Amino acid sequence: MTPFSAHLYRLLRAVYPADFRRRYGHDMQRIFAADLERARAGGLMAVLSFWWQILGDLAASGWRQRAAQCRRVLRTNRGTPQLPRQKRRTEMDTLLQDLRYARRQFVRRPGFTAIAVISLALAIGGNSLIYGIIDGFVFHPFPYPDPDRLVAVGATFPRLSSETRYVEVLSPAEYEDIRTNRAFSSTAAFDLGNRNISGGNAPERVITALLLDDLFPVVAMKPVLGRGFTPEELGPNGPPVAIISHRLWQTRFGGDPAILTRPILVGGAAKSIVGVMPPGLLLIGTDLWLPWGGDTSAMPRDSRQFTILARLRGEASLGQANAELSALAERLDRAHGSEFKEYAGWRLTATPWAAALFQDLRPAAFMLMGAVGFVLLIACANVTNLFLARSTMRQRELAVRLALGAGRRRLAQQLLTESLLVGLAGAAAGLLLVLAGLRSADALIPAQFQLLDLHATVSTRVLLWSLALALGSGVLVGLLPAIQATRADPHESLKADGRSGGAAVGHRLRQVLVVAEIALSVVLLLGAGLMMTSFVRILRLDPGFDPRGVLTMRLTLPRETYGSEEATTRFFQRLVDDVRNIPSVTGAAVANQFPPSAPFTGQIEVEGAQASVSGATLPTAGTSIVSRGYFQTLRTPMLAGRMFDGRDRPGTQPTVVVNSAFVNRFLDGRPAIGARLRLAGRDGSNPWSEIIGIVADARNSGMTAPVRPEIFLPMETGRTAWNQLHLLVRSDRPAAALLPDVRRALAAIDPQQPVYNIQTLEEAMAVSSFQQRLSAVLLGTFAGVALLLAAIGIYGVMSYMVSARTQEMGVRLAIGAQRGAVMWLVLKQVLGLSLAGLTIGVGLLLAASRSLEGLLFGVRATDPLTIAVTAAVLGAVSLCAAWAPAARASRVDPVGALRYE
Amino acid sequence: MAKRPDTPARKPLSGPVLHILLVLADGAKHGYAIKQEVERRTEGAIRLGPGTLYEAVERLEDGGLIEEATLAEPENGQQAQRRYYRLTAHGWEILTSELRQLSQLVEGARANPRLRKGLA
Repeated sequence: MTPFSAHLYRLLRAVYPADFRRRYGHDMQRIFAADLERARAGGLMAVLSFWWQILGDLAASGWRQRAAQCRRVLRTNRGTPQLPRQKRRTEMDTLLQDLRYARRQFVRRPGFTAIAVISLALAIGGNSLIYGIIDGFVFHPFPYPDPDRLVAVGATFPRLSSETRYVEVLSPAEYEDIRTNRAFSSTAAFDLGNRNISGGNAPERVITALLLDDLFPVVAMKPVLGRGFTPEELGPNGPPVAIISHRLWQTRFGGDPAILTRPILVGGAAKSIVGVMPPGLLLIGTDLWLPWGGDTSAMPRDSRQFTILARLRGEASLGQANAELSALAERLDRAHGSEFKEYAGWRLTATPWAAALFQDLRPAAFMLMGAVGFVLLIACANVTNLFLARSTMRQRELAVRLALGAGRRRLAQQLLTESLLVGLAGAAAGLLLVLAGLRSADALIPAQFQLLDLHATVSTRVLLWSLALALGSGVLVGLLPAIQATRADPHESLKADGRSGGAAVGHRLRQVLVVAEIALSVVLLLGAGLMMTSFVRILRLDPGFDPRGVLTMRLTLPRETYGSEEATTRFFQRLVDDVRNIPSVTGAAVANQFPPSAPFTGQIEVEGAQASVSGATLPTAGTSIVSRGYFQTLRTPMLAGRMFDGRDRPGTQPTVVVNSAFVNRFLDGRPAIGARLRLAGRDGSNPWSEIIGIVADARNSGMTAPVRPEIFLPMETGRTAWNQLHLLVRSDRPAAALLPDVRRALAAIDPQQPVYNIQTLEEAMAVSSFQQRLSAVLLGTFAGVALLLAAIGIYGVMSYMVSARTQEMGVRLAIGAQRGAVMWLVLKQVLGLSLAGLTIGVGLLLAASRSLEGLLFGVRATDPLTIAVTAAVLGAVSLCAAWAPAARASRVDPVGALRYE
Repeated sequence: MAKRPDTPARKPLSGPVLHILLVLADGAKHGYAIKQEVERRTEGAIRLGPGTLYEAVERLEDGGLIEEATLAEPENGQQAQRRYYRLTAHGWEILTSELRQLSQLVEGARANPRLRKGLA
């Protein structure tokens, strides 16, 4: 970030005379850097106000210095003849003259200026806003220095799944092997968990990273207070120490500077705080760092629960790191492949951390950037049209200047100055839009990102992006008019009255621009239509359960207080019973996971299944632990057999309920009720469980993915006691009214027990379709703006055509043409332009359809209905836009028009 | 350009210039220290951007009121490459004469009973 700002300031210093720059430039740069550093600490507003002051300083002192320079030059040249005066005119003087002239031009035509600036402001502002959001969430989400050198090591096990995962995928033994990679300067591994913090006010649940190594060298940041963990603390049975996040330090401990002397209670055990992480450093939302603390050498090679981060060494490239990793993967397969079958064909990959975390979001991010880029192109085409129209009107003025000896280059420069000024004004106004937009951006962001504490801000990159767009669109907008204006022959222009051959060329150019605008709008309209269709399809999906009126929250019982499985089960049973007794509650249950996102899977073995299935690697199925009343609470229909009830107790024959996807996948048409299955254990020691019921499929791997086979185990038997479960409560009261009652019921059992992740089931479902929703909303907005801009473009071109052909219309009417026929003459032309635009637009979309398809759900990119609707909307809008000019053409007074001729 | 503004009829010094001279009266300082000290003393009322600061420094250097100081021992040891400035004899002269004029002005104002209340 800093080099950008410093570079920008170095460029801006060009406003000072060269000798002043030589003398003080270095020192000024130093002051700039120091002040910027201070402003950064004060947040966004401080940085903005700092830049505002710097720009003011540059303008004021730069102006005085230049004026003084001019006076000096004049003084030394005093007494010489006036002739060389023209030679002394510097580039700067020319520019100032152009700027003054441009200002006069704009003031003289406020309507033209306003339309041009507002169009570009909307488009540039929209672009910067989207860039700001995407930059803050996808491209540069973290504050780490050199974020591209910070990589995560991910693994792909083709035997288990085809996707590459980065979080919690590798074991300590594998980490020890990966550490030896010579392309890494430092490495760290951590396991994610949750811990209760108590002591002080209310108990709190925080996401915790359990570290195998010191993470600070890897992320290249220093603790804001204290230090990182020492090797001794990280070793087996080290002293009880903890590092807390800046966020936790501020919110829970009020930023107490003496925090390092205060112990913290983690899960009931006291730990001394040795460090505070710097602000903004939240590793996947973690607020607490603890040493992992166990003896890793005893852990089997396949207990893969660690996430591995590494920093690339000095000149080492990502390619080098990956080459070593793939060699390592092969080596491990040869050494351990016989014992661990999943090593067959496995791959290790290093990817920049931000890309690894947000890989799913990248396609949508690029699509949005492209879409909003189209809006800018359309706006540019529109403003170019305005400029072209104006330069046609100014042809006489330009011809006079050419005739008086102005250089063509000079005239082109003048026109470009004008368009650049419009571009810059547009960007400045657009920044206000960005500021307003970023404030509301957080509302569109789902909870998963709020937890990570990511925010979109007006960073230097966003400002530079705006500047680049302003200059780019300024040049784009001014180029055609400049070329066209300077090509004109002054003789012709002075002789004729504006309706000369040059104007005809200009008109054709403007038609081409309108076709381009229409084509781009069509692409956006189609994209928006497809996204909306996808979103509606997702909303219409039958989730397999009834999400309305269900409140969910998560509880984790500390092992220190709830040591035994019986204690855990007893607690949750009592909680469910007590919550069920709250008035208006119609169902309550606990479960380790619930749809639409049920990520826990286990390897299972079906009794009597074919050897090919159970031979090499056992198949996996979703493994949910649920209490009695779970299916009633979610209203998942029972297809056969029975639900869990009083018969499923500790000490009875183990029972299990499966979903219908499980029956279809694993039972090959055999009767399901009474069949037996078991969870795979290391030595096949788990008991067989009997299938007692089949439930309908509920979407368990997101709303858009196929339903995964799933088994449900009864919590009450105590065989699979989990200390971390979700409470699900169905009630006809709103969640906000229900929550205090649930909290009271919980406090009556254990006042020290926190709940977290409180959300309704509908909110949980919204998260899983947020990408489609966000894309549909944004693309719809872009398409609306694009259509409006295209309509303005059509109107402008048609108005111009009608006024240029007034005489022709008059003649036609005079020799007996019907008024309707004259209107049709104009509308026909519009329909021709629209048809051309539609064809090109559909072609463009089809060319891009392959990259779009991944973002769609339940609809093909070539969906004929969407194309038909788009064509209809476009036709209607173009006819509306052309109606007024067409009507004007038909009302031409033939006598007046002919007399004028 | 090196016109010495020491004639009795010279123009009063501008706010930033006077403050810079006052700060340098305490000893040699580099640009950023001058800027910070001026901002501290005026409680932020006078903000010197890099351009404004060095514009004033240029004028004072060219006018012979300040000069670059070659400090044998920079304050913090490691900042040797920074340029330090100090008052010249001429600068002292101008500063004291300016301050004298200002205090005469204030004294005169104090003698006016209608202003005395506001100055107390």
